[in-house]
Amino acid sequence: MPLTRRQFLTLMGGSAGAAVLFQACGIPEKELLIDSSVEMPEDLVTGLDNWYATTFQDGLSSQGIVVRIMEGRAKKVEGNTDHPLNRGAHSAQAEAMLQALYHPDRISSPLVRTGTRGSGEFREISWEDAIARLASVFDNLSDTNKAVMLTDIVNGNEKLVLDKFVSSTGIRQVTFEPVEHTNLLKAVDHVFGQKNIPDFDIDNASLILSFGCDFLDTWVSPTRYSRGYGQFRQGHHHRGKLIHIESRFSTTAANADEWVYVNPGTEGMVAMSIMHEMASHGEIDTSHFSQSDLYKFEKYTPEFVSSLSGVSVETIQHIAEEFSHSDHPLAIGGDSASAHTNGLQNLIAIYSLNLAVNNIGKSGGIIFNPEPPIAGLESNQPNSSQELMAIVDEVKSGEIELLLVKDADLYYGLPDSMGFKNNYSNVPMIVSFGNMMDDTTSIADLILPQNSLLEDWGTDVPLAGPGYQTVGFQQPVVRPYFESRGQNLGTKGFSDVLMTTAQVMNVDLELGADTYKDVLQNTARELYELNRGDINGSKYSSFQSFWNALLARGGWWDHNYKSNHSFDFGGLVDIDEPSFHGNGSFHLIPFYSSAFHDGKYAYLPWMQNLPDPLSTAVWETWVEMNYKEAESMDISEGDVIEIRSSNGLMIKALAWPNPATPPGILGVPMGQGHRDGGRYSSGRGSNVLSVLGLNFDSQTGALAWSSTKVNITASGENIRLPKLENSVPDFPRDEHNHVVEITNGKSSKGH
Amino acid sequence: MAQESHKWGMVIDIDRCTGCNACVIACQSENNIPINLEAHFNQRRAIQWIRIERYWEGEFPNVKARFIPIICQHCGNAPCEPVCPVYATYHNNEGLNVQVYNRCVGTRFCANGCPYHVRFFNFWEPEWPESLKNQLNPDVTVRSRGIMEKCTFCVQRIRRATRLADRDSVELEDGDRALNPACVNSCATNGLIFGDWNDPDSQINQIKNKEMQEGGRAFGLLENLGTSPNVIYLKQVDESAEGHHGH
Repeated sequence: MPLTRRQFLTLMGGSAGAAVLFQACGIPEKELLIDSSVEMPEDLVTGLDNWYATTFQDGLSSQGIVVRIMEGRAKKVEGNTDHPLNRGAHSAQAEAMLQALYHPDRISSPLVRTGTRGSGEFREISWEDAIARLASVFDNLSDTNKAVMLTDIVNGNEKLVLDKFVSSTGIRQVTFEPVEHTNLLKAVDHVFGQKNIPDFDIDNASLILSFGCDFLDTWVSPTRYSRGYGQFRQGHHHRGKLIHIESRFSTTAANADEWVYVNPGTEGMVAMSIMHEMASHGEIDTSHFSQSDLYKFEKYTPEFVSSLSGVSVETIQHIAEEFSHSDHPLAIGGDSASAHTNGLQNLIAIYSLNLAVNNIGKSGGIIFNPEPPIAGLESNQPNSSQELMAIVDEVKSGEIELLLVKDADLYYGLPDSMGFKNNYSNVPMIVSFGNMMDDTTSIADLILPQNSLLEDWGTDVPLAGPGYQTVGFQQPVVRPYFESRGQNLGTKGFSDVLMTTAQVMNVDLELGADTYKDVLQNTARELYELNRGDINGSKYSSFQSFWNALLARGGWWDHNYKSNHSFDFGGLVDIDEPSFHGNGSFHLIPFYSSAFHDGKYAYLPWMQNLPDPLSTAVWETWVEMNYKEAESMDISEGDVIEIRSSNGLMIKALAWPNPATPPGILGVPMGQGHRDGGRYSSGRGSNVLSVLGLNFDSQTGALAWSSTKVNITASGENIRLPKLENSVPDFPRDEHNHVVEITNGKSSKGH
Repeated sequence: MAQESHKWGMVIDIDRCTGCNACVIACQSENNIPINLEAHFNQRRAIQWIRIERYWEGEFPNVKARFIPIICQHCGNAPCEPVCPVYATYHNNEGLNVQVYNRCVGTRFCANGCPYHVRFFNFWEPEWPESLKNQLNPDVTVRSRGIMEKCTFCVQRIRRATRLADRDSVELEDGDRALNPACVNSCATNGLIFGDWNDPDSQINQIKNKEMQEGGRAFGLLENLGTSPNVIYLKQVDESAEGHHGH
């Protein structure tokens, strides 16, 4: 019988009604079992999930992570418990890689510029077209030396491919970090003869003396160091002691047992003076020092250093005494201690403290990192700011014909006075591999968007390893998000794009592989044939089963393969007095933002809504200043402060007067002030890096980013500083019961 | 964990906490907490099921900043529970203070009653750009405008881990990362420890037994109010401090 639509609906209605009737006459006790009004997805738990291991590279170090995948979508990041660097913990930045994957403003296909530079007008093109365009730019170069590839610090197979591409095409490669670690690496090389940053055995240290580096929040490998810190505090019978010496009150200073304010740039002199004191009491280990070294710290008497550094004679003496008498002393330094004209000298003195107590290779001391198991995978070394300035000078004079930019936002990260912003139009072709419209990508002519971290292959041999050979593996845990756009649009891996471009150019990269995954498998095959390590090739019947185990585990490491710890000390050096840029009345100390680091994570909304540990501020740029000083200048919280450096540059930031900032110091977080970068960071806050004076370390050419002196004026405007503090009332303070234990482990009862 | 019923709880060691906020984002990711915009902070309506509070002591040069993570204490005697007119918040038989979203009518009496300020009201419909919705956890309800929400000790993880343990006929393991709340797994210093108070061998009980003794560091947050929290804090140690501190 043919049914009309109306008849069909009538029948359906009738049967539905019948179903209801049957239900009503059904078994009532079963109904009672269904507590439907309180059933929530939390109780139901539907679907199966899988956790895949991969690696999150973050500057000089990395974290092994596992990612929860449900129905092809990434849901959650956690630390990989097997990974030697973070042992299961993970940072807020690692978590936010989910938002990097699903960011609403990601670039979803290759783009070519159609409007004027910086106008943001682009047109989608196919990958074939994009790579052909890139290849033709190479063909039309008057000299391959006039093409420069700017990247972040790269290591592992990505570096291998990049090296081959650079050498085969004859272009130049320069590494760019907005906040460079040149001085740290040079100091480590000088003192310990190491190209890698050693591991610091914070777990087992009994006294840590840290200079300038916010190692619990942002410096080098904070997740790893925090892992150690938990043990250092409460994992042993004797609670470790942390003495932190810094010009600014950072998160690490907040956690220290003793924070010592030091005048900017005099950290190295304090370290020398500590050695002087140790030597004068005959409590210095001289096994690494030559006779001339011992003369070097003679002039740094506590009295002399105290007058320059602002650290009292008694403080220097008691630190020297505690450091020399501690069972497992450890000295580390970096960040603001290294960001001065005498930065290298400062760090040499600081790291030499470890020689003075001879803690090399010992529990609670300095543990060297061995060479990687396969040559060529080691990280590249950062270029200094002066080397970058030479590139910018070539840009100015029109000598650069092609700039290739990968994860190097130099439009944002270079100080304005270097002149890149005003002269980039001299470069005929800028190619970016960015998948977000960061400030440099937005001025590019051609954009070849790379995959996000969770979509790509890779290996990771970090500059700051765990003290033994480690190769982290990165695998695509989800299919590329823009895969649905087809083969000719969407995003691709950076290394794959280089390899394809080389093919189009008929350049043989001699990698013995067609895809980047093949390159990785070649490396894995070499690891397989080593027949050692925690994932030991000899225990697997085939390479394929080894490869599967490698990816499931998140990498390969051999905890037995350590460094032999022999080295030649480069000798102590005299410490020059620091010189400053400008004659303002305040020291400007920019600091790594807890959320954005040097600015590269500002596009992520979770990072924007992440409170700074100390100010609890979010979404804005603030300036830390001493509250008494602010009061004397009639400045209150939220006042818009104009910070001017002597080169005529100015940024605005919201005042955050507080009791911890030393008088004469202004602390400003890095990370905001992006011209572009998507909806969450565009036009938000100020970029402190832009006003820095061009003051360099006299020996290494590193930018002395903590040596600019500025003046401030209140603009008269006041904007509420968004922050978590005061969202809820403070807990009442109880004068009789203390949350903080005051006595030395022999506490009184109560809370 | 052989016992029949559980009583979930946590130990928070302030001496290990560095204030890094990794837990805050791990929680936001796991529990579909909306992006807190600038305006939300300015209106004091930002939602953070776990937050790090910072307290000042002294002033330069003798200044200290103290961090303390604050979450729902899952009180045994919870002031938020009896005030709810619709039984949207109740104590379940595993020691959890549970919020039933589809019962809540948004009176906010519970938030008034909570001395820890860990209950949050959805003043807006939560919004995410379409692509960011791919990240949302399908095990967790997205709370709509007009209802309260709070830390659940990641009950969805407890449920999933329990169900998988039942399926495989094994017992839940103390410290199992599939059972732990997201904040606990993220914490680099092991400052947060989750477990079962009814399991005499659990790590939290071992810590409690040690730290509750004379000279131990354990205390309950505002325990003098009689809320009998399921969370125990361990004091920070400061050997260099002089005079009185704390709050």
